[in-house]
Order: sequence, then structure tokens, then C-alpha cells
Amino acid sequence: MSAHPGPRARLAGGLLLWYAVLGGAVAWAVHLFAAWGVDELTCASGRERIGALPLQAVVAIAVVLPALATVGALLAAALVWRRTAHPPEGLDEHPVRRSRLLAVVAIWSNLLFLAIIVLGGAALLVLPPCLR
Amino acid sequence: MSTTAAPAPGASRQDLTLLEEHWGERPSLRSWFSTVDHKRIGRRYLVTAGLFFFLAGVSALTMRTQLARPESRLLSPQEYNQLFTMHGTAMIFLFATPMLFGFGNFLVPLMIGSRDMAFPKLNAFGYWVFLLAGLFMWVSLPFGAAPNAGWFAYVPLTERVNTPGLHLDVYSLGLLFLGIATTAASINFIVTALKLRAPGMSLNRVPLFVWAIVATAFMVIFALPALNLDNAMLFLDRRFGTHFFDPGAAGNVLLWQHLFWIFGHPDVYIIVMPALGIVSAVLPAFTRRGVVGYPLIVLAIVTIAIISFGVWVHHMFATGLPRLSYSFFSAASSIITIPSGIQIFAWLATMALGRLVLKVPLLYLIGFIVTFVLGGFTGAMFALTAFDQQVTDSYFVVAHFHYVLIGGAVFPMLAGIYYWLPKITGRMYHEGLGRWAFWLVFAGMHVTFFPMHLYGLFGMPRRVYTYRSEPGWDAWNLVSTIGSYLLAIGLLLVLIGVVHAIRRGRPAPPDPWGGDSLEWSTESPPKPYNFPVLPEVHSLHPTWDEPSRESMGAGATEDRILAEGRRTLFTSELDGRRERVVEMPEASLQPLVLALALLVFFTTMLFAWYPVAIAAVVVVAATIGVWLWPPRRPERELGVST
Repeated sequence: MSAHPGPRARLAGGLLLWYAVLGGAVAWAVHLFAAWGVDELTCASGRERIGALPLQAVVAIAVVLPALATVGALLAAALVWRRTAHPPEGLDEHPVRRSRLLAVVAIWSNLLFLAIIVLGGAALLVLPPCLR
Repeated sequence: MSTTAAPAPGASRQDLTLLEEHWGERPSLRSWFSTVDHKRIGRRYLVTAGLFFFLAGVSALTMRTQLARPESRLLSPQEYNQLFTMHGTAMIFLFATPMLFGFGNFLVPLMIGSRDMAFPKLNAFGYWVFLLAGLFMWVSLPFGAAPNAGWFAYVPLTERVNTPGLHLDVYSLGLLFLGIATTAASINFIVTALKLRAPGMSLNRVPLFVWAIVATAFMVIFALPALNLDNAMLFLDRRFGTHFFDPGAAGNVLLWQHLFWIFGHPDVYIIVMPALGIVSAVLPAFTRRGVVGYPLIVLAIVTIAIISFGVWVHHMFATGLPRLSYSFFSAASSIITIPSGIQIFAWLATMALGRLVLKVPLLYLIGFIVTFVLGGFTGAMFALTAFDQQVTDSYFVVAHFHYVLIGGAVFPMLAGIYYWLPKITGRMYHEGLGRWAFWLVFAGMHVTFFPMHLYGLFGMPRRVYTYRSEPGWDAWNLVSTIGSYLLAIGLLLVLIGVVHAIRRGRPAPPDPWGGDSLEWSTESPPKPYNFPVLPEVHSLHPTWDEPSRESMGAGATEDRILAEGRRTLFTSELDGRRERVVEMPEASLQPLVLALALLVFFTTMLFAWYPVAIAAVVVVAATIGVWLWPPRRPERELGVST
């Protein structure tokens, strides 16, 4: 096996790394703005449905999809972390060590973002969407 | 003391002469106004922010004197409103962030092994704007026209019909003016940390203080536009009769609060984050080991910076929004305590595993941990909607945020002042005086603010200029006032200690503490060019590591000496690989001229002298044009090479 990956593999590896690092944060940001925004604006307009869907279902979608995206980022981070454990000989150690640091940061941060999404989403089970 | 003489430079005598010639500034009035040296600018930030801290502190003492007894008549309600508003506004905007940016300005280029900030002229411009914006706001106080509706200036109270006069125009224009400085400084920090790191300083070798400053700078870039938008809309509502916040014309009063706190809560971390970076920078020298859990602290810095943008509605738990939407912010507000806790445990583990050297900076770090943890504890209580609604707008809130901000920012700043004073001034401080100051500050802080938890729970509302005698309020208020004087005496001793060090302190060696980061491998104070030879970094603790130190000695290649011209080295963002040599700008009066033109613009907008404001805009545009005009010199002469 060659120690130096080709350009496509490097691109794929880079994209995977950045998805691992930023995926959870972006998913949580989308979840927050979608779930909070939809809930506050719909309730302020005096309705509890958006088109054919009940408001609760729309908020649930804004919880579940970002949670899945965060789980994906978490798995990607775990993969990067495993792959950087034993780099092939001859490979420049700077990017490997830096990637490993980013992978550790990504694993823990994705866990935190997942926890926030799940905790916020749990409120859906107990609170009606427009109760003030 | 680990070192008593400057390390032998790897540059020849001729190189050193050339470096001095290109980077040195002869003392003169012109050089005072035109300097772009990050160390001089950093010192100015520290002194100016200290001056604004003094003014805000005197405001606080006056208010505490008023509140020492019930129904006191020392201040009128109007004067009290202006004092508490200027106290909060100045502490947040004119002291905390600029003071920490002052540390950043002085230290970031030294810590990353560079010769200056990425944009030295922008750096000077940021300082002048900060100074002028601060004066713009403070000058309104003696004229009775200072902001008077709290540092968060809620509408509809701040609309013209409810608060006539210039008060809130000073607030909105002053903060818009100041925002230019903060934004400029943030861009500069980001580019400096990404492009000017010494060769070999990959992301996993970046000092934690630099991580913290960069995260803070990103937070400013994303958070400040919300505040600027808010203030622009408030000014338009007040001056030109728009209706952004007028429900009668389809405006929305909660829009102010949303935008303000989208900025405001990240701003708590904008203030605290660099201070936590100071803690991570100071600790290794006084525990004789590196900070435990470097990757986890980086994780904490990054996640706090991101999550802080999703907690703002916990400042609005009493506004009647749907409870389900509160839950998303309540979850984020609870989880953000985890990365904060990670840092605290990492520092405690560092202390437990290291060998403690109990000097004044470490005393302040211990004081920080005690105070900040107490503030964080009440912060976690506020994340719970039901508790928050019970104590909102009471003195409990005042107690909480003073524990967070004094504990989380002022204590680390004081640690940083004592730690880097030898590097900044070239003089050592008096240890005994420093210890007295610490104990007075620590005791004064807790005597002042702990009782506020109690009389807050007993029902005393915040922002009242006086109160009727109530059981549980009178005595504790007197205790708070006594504590505030104790705190003031402690801070006065800090000032005396700094002045004493500058005037009578013994000369400081390059590395009096045995620190681990690169600033300790320069002279005290550093030469104008910082490093005779730009270092090559081989580890996270370059000053403790032989190959990194040797890289600054004999045998350095020309691309790390760069004596021909005012030049430094660009490296890659992630791995710190050499990219190219760049020429740095020389001293210039353009930053001052541009800042003065902006002052004229904002002053004339305040007094509605619109033709003069238009003229000021023309001067601003012309100055920027001259600034950006490309120099007519060949590339070789510019020192640009690939």
C-alpha cells in the first residue's frame, strides 16, 4: 500500500474530516433555528398547524433529522480517530497528529451536540407546542 | 528563575543592526501617533481599558455608597440611572473585551513566533477607534446626557417617546462606533493566528491562549452584527421615526431582545474565553508542567464558542414565549456547563499533578477557580426556566454575573498582569504588595457580592436608586458597600504595585518564571522585531524543548532571519508549513486620521449636523482609498518571494 494517498482519496478524507468536525455543530444550529423559529412564529400567528402537518410533527422533524446528521458526524469522527492511530510509515506526521486532535475534538463535541438536540427534543413528549 | 540572560541570537551583529533599523521607531511625537508596533498598541489597550475600568469602578462605588442605607439622597434617580448604565456598558464594552484584546495584541505575535500582527495598520486603527468611542460615551456623563436605560437598553423604554434627549443616541452611536474597533481587531487576530505562526506550529501545537483568542474573535465576527443591527434600528426609530420596535406599526419589541441577546450571551463568553486562555497560559509556569488534557481544553474552547450562540433565550425566560421553545435553549444552557467543567477539572488536575509555586499569579488563579465555580453554579440554576422566572430582575442576578465576570475575567486578568508585567515593562513587581492586593481583592469581591444572592432572594429588585427599609435588605446592603470599598482598596494596591514595578522594580530577566511559550524566549521587554531569528516549533512547549530553542540559535537559515526589510513569514493555516515571506507595513498616520474622521461622523450624527457628517464620510472614503492604494515598488524591493 502506498504511504501517500491519491488526490481523490485526499479530497474524500478531507471532506470526511470536516464533516466529522463541523457536522454536529451545523446540525444543532439547524435544529435550533428550525425548531425554535417554527414553534415561536407559528404560535405567534395563532395556529398550531403548518399546512397539513401538525406543529408538533414539524418540530419533531427538526429534532430527528439533525440528530441523525449528528450521529453520522460522530461515526465519521470515530473513523478518523481510528485511522490516525497508526499512520503508515513515511507519511508526514504533522497532518496526522493535527487530524487526530481534530478527531478527538469532533467525537466529544458531536456527543455534546447530540445531547442538546435529544434533551431539547424530549420536551416535545411533555409540552404542547404553544403552551405559554 | 530559570534564565538570567537573553538567549544568544542566531543572527549576526549586522543582521541585528538591520532588524533594529527596519523595525525600530525613534521616540518622537509623530512616532507616538503613527506607531503600528503590536506591543505598543497592546500596552495602550491595557492602559486605556484600565482607565475606563477606573471610571466604571468609581461609578460603582458611588452607587454602592448610595445603597449603603435605605432612602439615601446622595444621587438623584436620573443620576443613578446614568451611573448604572455607564457602569455596565463600560465594564462590558470598554473594559473587559479591550483589556483582553490588549493582552492578545501584545502576546499573540510573541506566542506564535511572529514579528507583528497580520495587519499592523488595522491594529493601530482599532486602538484609536476604541479610545475615541470610549471618550465619546464617557464625555456625555458630565453633561447629564449619558445612556440611562441599562446596558441592554430594552425597548420600548428606550424609544424616544419614553426616553427623550441624547442619552440613547449616545448609546447606539457609541456602540456602533466601538463595534468597528472590535471587528477590526477580531479579523486581525484570526488572520494573524492562521497565517503568521512559526514554522512547525501545527494546530496541535498552538498555545491555548491563542486558541482562546481566535475562538473569541470568531464569536465577535458572528455575534456583533446582531448588536450593530439592533443599535442601527434603535437609532433610526429614535431619530428618523421608523417603527422597527413599535407594535402599533407592525414592529416588535421582542425583536430588540432577541437581537441583543444573540449578541449578549456569546458576549459573556467573548469576555470570559480569553481570560480562561490566560489561565491556561499562566498555569504551566506555576505548576512546573503542561496543562492536563490539551485536546479536551481545545474541545471546550471550540464547543463553548459554538454553543454560546444557542443559549440567548435564557435571558428572556420571563417574556412569555412558548414553553417548548424555551426547552431548546434550556437544554443548550445546561449542556454548555460541561465544557466549562472540563476546563476547571483540567486545571485542577494540572495543579494536583504539578509542583505548585505559590506566587501572586497563582493566587489569582486559585481565586478565579473558587469565584468562577460559584458563579457557574448559580448560572446552572438560571438554565432552569422555573428558577429563572422566580429571581429574574432581582439582585440574585447581579450577584451571579459579578461572580462570573469578576471571577471569570478580572481574576485571570490580574493573574495575567502580574505574570506578564516583567515581559511588558522589563521590571519585576513587589511580591509582598501583590499578595496584600490579592487578599483584599478576593475578600472585597466576596463581601460585596455574596450578600446580593441573599437580598436578591429576599426580593430586592435590581436597578433601583434607593429602597425603603426592609427586613433582610438594610444590613446586607451595608455589608456589600463595605465590601466594595475593600475591593477598591485592593485594586488600588494593584495599581500601586504596577507603578512601583515600572519605577522601582528590579530589571526582569527574559524568563523569570520558566514559562513554556515563545514569548519567554524574547528579551524583557522584547525588541521591536520580537525575535532575531523566527523560531521553528517542535512541540507544544517550545521554550521547554531543546530543538525549538536551538532553532533560534546559530545555524538559522535566512528565511527565518529576514533582516533585509520589514518582513515576516507566512505559513499554512493547519500545519504551519513555510509559504512565503511578506513585507509588513511601516508606521503611518492613516489609522489615526481615519479614526478621527469616524469620530467626526458619529459626533455630527449625534447632533444632527448632517452636512458635516456627509463631509466626514468623504474624508473616511478618501483615507481608505489612500490606505489601500498599492505601493509603486517592484516585487523584489517589496521583499515578496515565493
